Amino acid sequence: MGGLDQLRQLQQDFMHYVLGEQSEIVTQIESTPVLSAKDRLDIYATAYKLRLKEAISTDYEVLHLYLGDEQFDNVMEDYIAHYPSRITNLRYYSINMTALLKTRSPFNQHPVLAELATIESSFANSFDSHDRTVVALDELAAMAPEAWATLRLAFQSSVQILPLAFNSFEVWRALSKAQTPPTLEASSESLNWVLWRRADLISHYRPLDGAENAALSLALQGESFAVIFEALLDFYSEEETPMKAVSYLQSWINEEMLSGLSY
Amino acid sequence: MSRPFLGFGLGLRTDHYQHVIEHRPQVDWFEIISENYMVPGGKPLANLDKIRADYPMVMHGVSMSIGSTDPLNQGYLEKLKGLIERVEPLWVSDHLCWTHVDQVNSHDLLPLPYDEATINHLADRISQVQDFLGRPILIENLSSYVSYTQSEMPEWAFVSEIVKRSGCYLLLDINNIFVSAHNHHFKPETYIDAIPSERVMQFHLAGHSYNGDMIIDTHDHDVCDPVWALYEYALRRFGAVSTMIERDDNIPPFTELRAELAIAEAIAAKTLTEQQLEISGRALLRGAA
Repeated sequence: MGGLDQLRQLQQDFMHYVLGEQSEIVTQIESTPVLSAKDRLDIYATAYKLRLKEAISTDYEVLHLYLGDEQFDNVMEDYIAHYPSRITNLRYYSINMTALLKTRSPFNQHPVLAELATIESSFANSFDSHDRTVVALDELAAMAPEAWATLRLAFQSSVQILPLAFNSFEVWRALSKAQTPPTLEASSESLNWVLWRRADLISHYRPLDGAENAALSLALQGESFAVIFEALLDFYSEEETPMKAVSYLQSWINEEMLSGLSY
Repeated sequence: MSRPFLGFGLGLRTDHYQHVIEHRPQVDWFEIISENYMVPGGKPLANLDKIRADYPMVMHGVSMSIGSTDPLNQGYLEKLKGLIERVEPLWVSDHLCWTHVDQVNSHDLLPLPYDEATINHLADRISQVQDFLGRPILIENLSSYVSYTQSEMPEWAFVSEIVKRSGCYLLLDINNIFVSAHNHHFKPETYIDAIPSERVMQFHLAGHSYNGDMIIDTHDHDVCDPVWALYEYALRRFGAVSTMIERDDNIPPFTELRAELAIAEAIAAKTLTEQQLEISGRALLRGAA
């Protein structure tokens, strides 16, 4: 073996060592009078973990506060073991944290962990999501009455619906202000929150009631207002529904969630 | 491109955004970490645009993995090209290293063996990147903590040959030369003497840490006196080269970092002539490289 094949083998052996796997790389590294090949390689293996832990810690500060150093370190160790980085930009390394906390024992026995991770990753997604134009209310006024049935909405890419079964937003809010979090409580009914970024680049969040969640979910899926009216009939009478739908639309526009109207 | 002299710059860091935007401090230029702005939108890009309006910029990447035996990451290169169009930097740099193999990323700047096959591989890949970007790139020498038994030449011979064959330029990190000289037992001056002067486009300066018998390139301290001395040696050898300080951890207030940059200015002022230190007019233009 020579040339590029030899270089490839060296890189694979090196990476196996960094990942803590069986590797022959140590035979290809020069020792010095004071440091063995292994000691020299360990500088890279240690740095690998530290770098990934730093990235995770930056992304999940509140989860870290909730768990404390030791438990959070367990989470990070498990994450790094299960997710060798396959991304180029460290900004996106920890995007599978919610999935890990939902599926891996013992973390999945504490659903608040996955919910806190969802809140923090949603803020991160909102923070640097695409910049799009913002729809103004007068665009709505310019719409012909017959256009309502076919109206579809385009949203800011920051708009996300977070399904949370616990009072995790209250826990998150208290911890992020360095306050004692409230006792963890399951919501009496499944509660959804909307989180999005306004034109001033600040992210906002608020709870959604069942009707608005149904309407917003359908609108985000690109469904027409005719479909949204239909869904709202599960919550309101035929007389109330059009007014409710319009008031949702107005509030989404006022809150700068929308980037376009098509009809 | 001939060597424009931009003067003395700093690495742009999020800790300093507010100070830079509010006070517009006197700094000749900023270097950005390209990957920090490879995001869809929001505050990172808004702040970047604001600061770019007031300062010349160069772009410095950490993820090109030019030495990897995986195929070049086309998606990364396309994002890099998009950012170049937005920023219109004076130049674009990355490291003479590999970061990933089999699509697994170490997120580290890993060293390469110094041999003929690796030179061919690097020269070919750098040429491909330069063709795609439509401009020459700068490559930076690493701090390293291992050396390979298969290496056939010293690092400076390896670097010089790649530069010659690929037509790229050098971002010479003075601290990295100092760190690697300590870790691999060579004289840093030997390295500097061997580098082709006409290819050196930029200098990096930074602080480091001692870890037992090794020096680690941590960018978390001030530049130390031996590195300042080596900087002076490099100025005597190469003449005026655009110089900046990298600080990535234990980041001090902006004014402290700016005061440290004044040390570089003072060393250059006593080492070079006023004529040599005249900032190139073209450096003030966007997309001048």
